[in-house]
Amino acid sequence: MKSAAAAARKVVTPNVVDGQLFKAALLGGQSWLAANQEEVNRLNVFPVPDGDTGTNMLLTLQSAVEDIRESEAREISKIAALAAHGSLMGARGNSGVILSQIFRGFAKAVQGKDVLTPQELAGALEEAANAAYRAVIKPTEGTILTVARETGKAARLAADEPNSNVISVVKAAARAAKIATDNTPTQLAILREAGVVDAGGYGLQMMLEGFLKTVEESEEAARVIGTSVRGPRPAAQVNLELPEEGWGYCTEFLIEGRGMVVEKVREDIAAMGNSALVVGEPDLIRVHVHTNEPTKVLAYASSIGNLTKTKVDDMSKQHRVILEAEVPGANGQSALQPLELRPNGVGMVAVVAGSGLSEIFRGLGVDGLVEGGQTMNPSTKDMLDAVDSLPYDEVLLLPNNANVILAARQVPELSKKKVHMLPTRTVPQGIAAVVAFNASRTGDENEVAMNDATRGVQTIEVTHAVRDSKVDGIRVKKGDVIALINDKLTHRGDDYGSVVSLALKELGTDDYELVTIYKGKDARDGELKSLTESIEKDYPKLEVEVLDGGQQHYPFILSVE
Amino acid sequence: MPKSGFRVVTDSTADLPRAWAEKYGIETVPLKVLFGNESFRDRVDLTDDEFYARLGRAEKLPTTSAPSPGEFAEMYEKLRPECEGVISIHLGSNVSATVEAARVGASSVEGLRVEVIDSKSVTMPIAFLCKVAAESPTLDEAVKRVNERVDKCRVFALLDTLKYVSMGGRIGRASYLIGSMLDVKAILRVAGGPVESVDRIRTRGKGIALTLDHFRKDLPVEYLGIVHAQVPEDAEAVRQTLVKELPGQEIEIGEIGAVLGTHTGPRALAVVYIRK
Repeated sequence: MKSAAAAARKVVTPNVVDGQLFKAALLGGQSWLAANQEEVNRLNVFPVPDGDTGTNMLLTLQSAVEDIRESEAREISKIAALAAHGSLMGARGNSGVILSQIFRGFAKAVQGKDVLTPQELAGALEEAANAAYRAVIKPTEGTILTVARETGKAARLAADEPNSNVISVVKAAARAAKIATDNTPTQLAILREAGVVDAGGYGLQMMLEGFLKTVEESEEAARVIGTSVRGPRPAAQVNLELPEEGWGYCTEFLIEGRGMVVEKVREDIAAMGNSALVVGEPDLIRVHVHTNEPTKVLAYASSIGNLTKTKVDDMSKQHRVILEAEVPGANGQSALQPLELRPNGVGMVAVVAGSGLSEIFRGLGVDGLVEGGQTMNPSTKDMLDAVDSLPYDEVLLLPNNANVILAARQVPELSKKKVHMLPTRTVPQGIAAVVAFNASRTGDENEVAMNDATRGVQTIEVTHAVRDSKVDGIRVKKGDVIALINDKLTHRGDDYGSVVSLALKELGTDDYELVTIYKGKDARDGELKSLTESIEKDYPKLEVEVLDGGQQHYPFILSVE
Repeated sequence: MPKSGFRVVTDSTADLPRAWAEKYGIETVPLKVLFGNESFRDRVDLTDDEFYARLGRAEKLPTTSAPSPGEFAEMYEKLRPECEGVISIHLGSNVSATVEAARVGASSVEGLRVEVIDSKSVTMPIAFLCKVAAESPTLDEAVKRVNERVDKCRVFALLDTLKYVSMGGRIGRASYLIGSMLDVKAILRVAGGPVESVDRIRTRGKGIALTLDHFRKDLPVEYLGIVHAQVPEDAEAVRQTLVKELPGQEIEIGEIGAVLGTHTGPRALAVVYIRK
């Protein structure tokens, strides 16, 4: 069996590359890169992490093949020249430009040739890498350049072997591309930090794998029809199936929703990958699947519920890349971002109550939340645990309530970490402080800047008196609407609008631009509407922003800045 | 156009004042803006007003791309019969592949000296460098004078929202944080290296005041401009403030074009200058 196959191979293996085989290989490379475009985009962190390397390389390659699609030229020199010209005209992005230079070098090396022997093919691949190096002013290792060079080297070694053929050379090149790509994080720190391989290198690897599939297929085709290689297989027939043993992503998450049909979800997920395990209840489903398109799976899942505990592992890499998935945006794009530690090594912990406020603090970069506030003061230990659990040696701690400050003061003494306790007395002060945080400054610098920012914001808290009393010189009756400016009772009245107007008047609104209203758990929409309208009417110059805070005790917290 | 024997080429992100383009015969190669699969050449197929109108309507944010090496080569080929050399000054390599494309394009043109300059900056400082080059007596002198100023280019930009810059990925991911549901503004600095997020603020007034504070620390300046994305009234107000503080200083006002606007979003305002 084995020997028969080997014998067959001996007869039909293409021993030269002509124009049409090269054309087929380019089209195959394009298809395989297209199939992996999103993956390449996702890896893109260098030189500019804008997530478009895959798109740029694909557009460049598309431009390269544009003019050769219709070409029947048998001479490889002609096809290579068309590809070089097309890619030069259509090159986009850094990787695209380098790719165009690879084609240029290749075209130059094959000038005047009709076909390439395995040795000539290897030489052209080497020359292609050299041309790419020459085109870049400051070549950086650990990028597409390195991958191109290793590819050329491996092709040369394979070509020098006895009995080498076109497939053995292309196979060696594709393998070397994978090894070189996997190796890029050891050469380039930014890749290491982000836990990814170089996107451009990976793109080139995909292209070469596409080449390999095409030449292997042409061998297969030749064996079946028993003739020598004639004409390309259409690119669409390049085998895009996922190899069983790898390339996929182990993708896991929970879907929280209502009335989900587990069987239907299982069927849909199974269609997107293999090894699918979908279990659960109509309101909570656990999903595990190996897929080539994790973003597609996540987009599907988020269309039926909220995703939590999302984990995507790239199984084809030696290391594990754990991704944090955010709920996809309105355009259906899921914002996948590797978990990234801050360069200044400073984390933040905030004390906060209310789902909306928690989300706001998180969104601004707070790493640890301790639940608590006016009605439920967290203990020193609660805060200490949150501080100690962060992956940072230095932590900024924001109590966000006057009653919590005292307990928070103990944390710096008890923790082994360097803890800066910022005496934020209200939620708006805490938010102002966090907004001023800058990940490129030190902890000490941030402490100063954040305390400054705290002083630039005024807080109005609105609630109801729980009993008849006299506080701060103001007599209030149970049920009165009362306003506190910066934690001190200042006004009473019968409705939210009039009390807030009085408080704003006392602050003197000429110095301020923006009022942010955080709506509490117990505030009604109608009350919010009339409060907003009364501020807009009395203070037309102020901009009013409304957010759902979800806090207890205070129907409304306002920040004025 | 002076018969200087060399020509100046830039790209559409220089936000070059039209008067300078005409006076000095400065040529512009457009970058591209892509809305989905529709590709537009900056300021050729799409005016700034059309762009911002589309940006407001677009469901998915546009992307941008550098000109291809071939497009640069075409421009240089076009100029070859008219001059002995070209100085080609472009959007910084810290944010774009444009310079790389220009270099590759230049290397494919034979029989013409092309000096490609990486401005390491964005928007009008590039236009200032073009003016410096155009007013130089020789190409050698132009290269020298421009190179002396590249590291003195500064941009402080107030972004009205972080939505666009965070999607565009042009600033290091670790150095900024997406402002969640809260409306957060940021001041970014471009000073020859990666784009840095200097401050996050919540109000525009404070943002403008802080931007000016940053600028004042860099005085004195040789060239000064204010560029904006659809907020001419804010740009004018800032100009009035600066005119009083810096009597005799010329202050250019320019518009942030589509390519940069894709990353800044509307209502951005920047103080741009070359330090002395």
